Amino acid sequence: MNSMTNIKYVSSLVENRFKVIKKEIVSEYQISFEVDKDEVHRLLTLLKLEGWIQLSYLSAIDWINDNEYELVYIVMNWEKPVHVQIRTRISRENPSMDSILPIFPGCKYYEREVHEFFGVKFPGNPEYAKQLILEGWDDIPPLRKDFDPRAYSDAHFAKREYTETFVNLNNEKSKQVKREKRKERIIRVRKGGKK
Amino acid sequence: MESTKFSLLTKEEVDRKWWEIGDFFRRNSLWMLMYCTGCCAIELPPAMTSAYDMERLGMGPMATPRQADVLLVTGYLSLKTLRRLIYTYEQMSEPKYVVGIGSCTINGGIYHDSHAVINQLDQYIPVDVYVAGCMPNTEAVMNGFVDLMRLIKSKKANGWKKYHKNNEWYKKNQIDSLGEVRVKDEFHD
Amino acid sequence: MIISILMGISVAFFGFVLQTSIAGVNRKIIGRVQKRYGPKWYQEFLDIFKLLSKRSVTHGWIFDFGVIMALGGIIATAMFMPITNDLMAFPGFDNFFIFVYLIAVGMLGMAMSASGSGNPLASIGVMRALTTMLAYEIPFMIIVLTIIKLTGHSSLSEIAMFQQTAVAGLEFSGTWFMIALPVGFAVAFLSLMGMLGKKPFETYIAPAEIASGPMVEYGGKQLGMLFIMHEITVFIEVSLFVHLFLGGAENIWIFLIKYFLVYTSVNLISNVNGRFKIDQVVVFFYKWPLLFAVMQAFVAIYLGWVI
Repeated sequence: MNSMTNIKYVSSLVENRFKVIKKEIVSEYQISFEVDKDEVHRLLTLLKLEGWIQLSYLSAIDWINDNEYELVYIVMNWEKPVHVQIRTRISRENPSMDSILPIFPGCKYYEREVHEFFGVKFPGNPEYAKQLILEGWDDIPPLRKDFDPRAYSDAHFAKREYTETFVNLNNEKSKQVKREKRKERIIRVRKGGKK
Repeated sequence: MESTKFSLLTKEEVDRKWWEIGDFFRRNSLWMLMYCTGCCAIELPPAMTSAYDMERLGMGPMATPRQADVLLVTGYLSLKTLRRLIYTYEQMSEPKYVVGIGSCTINGGIYHDSHAVINQLDQYIPVDVYVAGCMPNTEAVMNGFVDLMRLIKSKKANGWKKYHKNNEWYKKNQIDSLGEVRVKDEFHD
Repeated sequence: MIISILMGISVAFFGFVLQTSIAGVNRKIIGRVQKRYGPKWYQEFLDIFKLLSKRSVTHGWIFDFGVIMALGGIIATAMFMPITNDLMAFPGFDNFFIFVYLIAVGMLGMAMSASGSGNPLASIGVMRALTTMLAYEIPFMIIVLTIIKLTGHSSLSEIAMFQQTAVAGLEFSGTWFMIALPVGFAVAFLSLMGMLGKKPFETYIAPAEIASGPMVEYGGKQLGMLFIMHEITVFIEVSLFVHLFLGGAENIWIFLIKYFLVYTSVNLISNVNGRFKIDQVVVFFYKWPLLFAVMQAFVAIYLGWVI
């Protein structure tokens, strides 16, 4: 089966039934749809019934200027090799998205991770708030754009102090001349003695 | 006339002699515990196998912290890894030495402004030898081990004594950065 | 009596020194095989003395007592080992079954101590060691019992003498059992590799898998004592093999040469092999070695076909 026909198949499948805000064909094996927040569950159910049985990843993007988070669900079909990205935007104020746990049980850990790094709540997943990666985190979620990692690092971890007085031996004149001579010699030897 | 050659040794002198003999054995048979946290760990296979052959110096890899003498910290340490590293370090039997490989253990390296990676290893556990570089050559790594042997010979590799002496300072630093040293996750509760 | 005991202890000490040096030389040989320079030949001594010079922690009195019991049991076993035909501490007490029973004391001491550490990996290692022991003991025992049936003796020095001198009235005397029972020799060699814990049957050490198994919690002095115990165990097992199959030794130089050849060949074979899983070890030993051992015993005892 040709891979472009797979792309056509999935776009007709999705576009006939759902209102797609934005469609992008990333490559012949990957296609992205942006849909409304309420339609994600129905779309994922449809794709799962059509053979996109594996949830490869769930991530989030922080669009701080639009004051929105974008959630990205990536699903994979093993019969028709196309990754489908389902993107949806949710508000940045008190972000919350219904869990897709009944559709893809494997999303349990992805939702915990997104909650930990972006602070998105997933009602429907009983343990989305449990810590997964960061142990005992005490600040705002670290992958949000308004989090300053350098300030956090400066506040928590000791920095090595260096004295400013040092000598840069590399720019000394005598060595420079020597090094250029050596380079010339290397080039001469490499060319067999010819200039 | 009293002989100057043969006089009874005091207890300190006897202890010192025994310690020197022990140092001879210890520096010629360093068993490593490789805490391969980061990318510098890739320099260890060439150092161990036929290219540089670490075994001719008497060094070899060991499976558990109890058996090992040298703790190799190869690369960056995230907060989670640091907790486990402190556990591991405290399990090792004394005398024990620590070698920090790569610039991440010295000043954070390219992760100096990350929220998850510590910057200076010697704030948390004592380090005897640093091998600088991002990443260091295998020659530099080998040179670091030879330096460690020289330090043991000249009795300067006493990081483990420092850990006993300044234990409160180290503990304070650990708690300041980590909050709590105890490992708390799904598998330890 | 006291002379005998002192002599026995010096046999154990001799075994320790011999095996430790030969293990060091073997590390060098393996290094050369892998195109490395290899460590110093006395590296094993340095390792052991270094371990004895370290401070160690304890995990309770069973942990410490088991180590002492292991070392004591193994030294007691080694005391009975004949080195040449004449050089032995207790003449007449070198029965094969003495070694089989006494060596279990050392092994059990180690198992007890390892379990006393409370580490789950140690328990897994002990369990695997016992399983491996069950696997290799049966083919090995069949071959040894065949030898005992053929010679009519179960004493090691008698078996060695039987192989050295051709007596007119006795059948098959005068040939080494390595040549007389070639299939049995191959089976016993495989069992020896299992006994020594060499590579295809290394399942109970398995450093990358269960973190060196029973030794996982040992460090410092206890580990040093276990290393000494291990060296003496290897000495006992390889010497058993030399006496049973390679015709013993008339003098000490022949013993050294035979010992070195057996240990080195085991090591060389070991170093080009990967590691079996524990179930593969058991299935392997119960399949071909057991079959060939039974076949060899049948052929040698009932049909009398001995080269």
